[in-house]
Amino acid sequence: MIGFRLAAQRPPDPQRINETVVMRLEHVFEVDPALMTEHVRQQDMPVWDTQRIVADRWEHLAWMHDHWADTVVSGEELLEESGPA
Amino acid sequence: MTTTALSDPVLEELVEILGADHVFTGRSARFNRARVPAPFPVHRWPEHVPDVVVLPTSAEQVAEVVKLANRYRLPVVPRAGATGLTDGAVPLRHGILVDVKLMNRILEVDLEDRTVTVQPGINMLKLNEELRQHGVMYPDDPASYPCSLVGGRIGTSGWSLIGGRYGHARDLVISFQIVLPTGEILEVGDGGGRKIRKSSTGFQLKHLFMGHQGTLGIVTEATLELVPRPEAEFSAFFSYPDYETAWRSTAALARSGLATLAGVVLFDEWKVRYLRRDDEAYIPQPPEVKAVVATALYGTSDEVRPAARRLLRIGLASGGEYLGDEISQGDWASRHDRYATPLHGRLAGGQVVPMSWHCEDAAVNWSKLPRVREEWHAIVERLSDRHPIFDDWGMFAYTNGAYKPWGDYLTEIDVGIWEQELDDESWAAWVQAKRDIAEVTVRHGGSISACHGACRAGEVDLVPLELGGQFDVMKKIKRALDPLNVMNPGKYLLDQAYEEETS
Repeated sequence: MIGFRLAAQRPPDPQRINETVVMRLEHVFEVDPALMTEHVRQQDMPVWDTQRIVADRWEHLAWMHDHWADTVVSGEELLEESGPA
Repeated sequence: MTTTALSDPVLEELVEILGADHVFTGRSARFNRARVPAPFPVHRWPEHVPDVVVLPTSAEQVAEVVKLANRYRLPVVPRAGATGLTDGAVPLRHGILVDVKLMNRILEVDLEDRTVTVQPGINMLKLNEELRQHGVMYPDDPASYPCSLVGGRIGTSGWSLIGGRYGHARDLVISFQIVLPTGEILEVGDGGGRKIRKSSTGFQLKHLFMGHQGTLGIVTEATLELVPRPEAEFSAFFSYPDYETAWRSTAALARSGLATLAGVVLFDEWKVRYLRRDDEAYIPQPPEVKAVVATALYGTSDEVRPAARRLLRIGLASGGEYLGDEISQGDWASRHDRYATPLHGRLAGGQVVPMSWHCEDAAVNWSKLPRVREEWHAIVERLSDRHPIFDDWGMFAYTNGAYKPWGDYLTEIDVGIWEQELDDESWAAWVQAKRDIAEVTVRHGGSISACHGACRAGEVDLVPLELGGQFDVMKKIKRALDPLNVMNPGKYLLDQAYEEETS
């Protein structure tokens, strides 16, 4: 049975990034919960579900690159080859 | 449950033409086809519900439906993906809504003369999935790429994100078949040959039958351009300490002369500020990042790699800082699918509220961008001060010319709207703001829309001002082709054509 229970994997406490954004997992940003109290409520989500959504997003972006071209040229590699600007 | 206002003889004739399975009178089928993503007066939803929805499968069926509409003098509203950001697919006078989604077949792939012929209900992403096996693609790339349909792209004459390289819908659609407002089926192209790209025979009618927002007919088949599938893609995002540096850099990049340059996109300070709220790519950016420019190249590997080196040199030399591969590649990939973005905005105090996205667009010359930007933001600021249900989400400027990505720009201001809170007063204020935005555009020598069309409430009032004598010609054409005003009536102020005839 798939467990959609928050208790299965509760996310860590948030770390403040700026005045309106917090972060619980590396590079996964959330709106400050204090700003989601009146009209839109934040949902409680287990870590695995957040990670699934993030992984799906990256998969979607990779799919889109592959859809449009055979290869993606890296700007960082080109700049490295060229040396300091 | 049948709640349509149509008489039984009309419904019986529609069933005879289309079959009972293709005629819908229930509330769900009709209410769900009343609106598009453009701002919608949800408090007046019933005013826009069609009386009946039909889903034809052939041009002959469409033609018979239109002839029936003429016999009974009923409005006909065409609808494809319904992703348009103007009101082309929104019924203004109820009537028969013709949804072309079932006409979604690929009819022919011609690899010798490089064309694909399709029905209007096919989506570009799905089409390109099929074309990939042949090493070709149809490079029409709106923000609604995964969900808009070819028929709607023709009705809108839409803009493409990569149009600087490959052209826009008007350049990529070679010819099409259209059911005229009186029910005749017409083949329209650049001259007579279905697969001819350039002709000097006769009047050039292809453009006339593109971008009319469903007022001049319903497209039932289209022959489209095929290009080689790109071997390589390169995207580079640059950051800037101020808007002016980014604006000048945009011009330097767009004027580079690189044949593989598909587009350049300028993000202003409001846009960067908005993205810092929620977008994982922009939240970590340091405060000195005030504006961003995005660029992209497509072509063969032999072309793209050296062009990318030059593009990087131009971006850096004109004051930009390369933002790195993760944001350059990730954000660019997301640009093909902006309709998937979850939408919420902020009240003045910062509280999150559900908001719909509205994008007000125009075509503006590069030299006018800074002034237009200031005036547009001032209009939206005045609006949101009075009505906090509106939220300024910033501006983009995209290169707008086909094959020549310089000179003029698709300029847009994105505004979040808390639609559930709309009432007559706030809707009227919004419509006035749209008029004001259009007035700024026209005053600065621009065009009210580069991409969406200009028939929404508000900006449509300025269309005669922008077009001058061209608008009089539009009215004459409309009256000649649609003598009973059945095809999407009420759009583009074209009722005036019939009022003048009466007077």
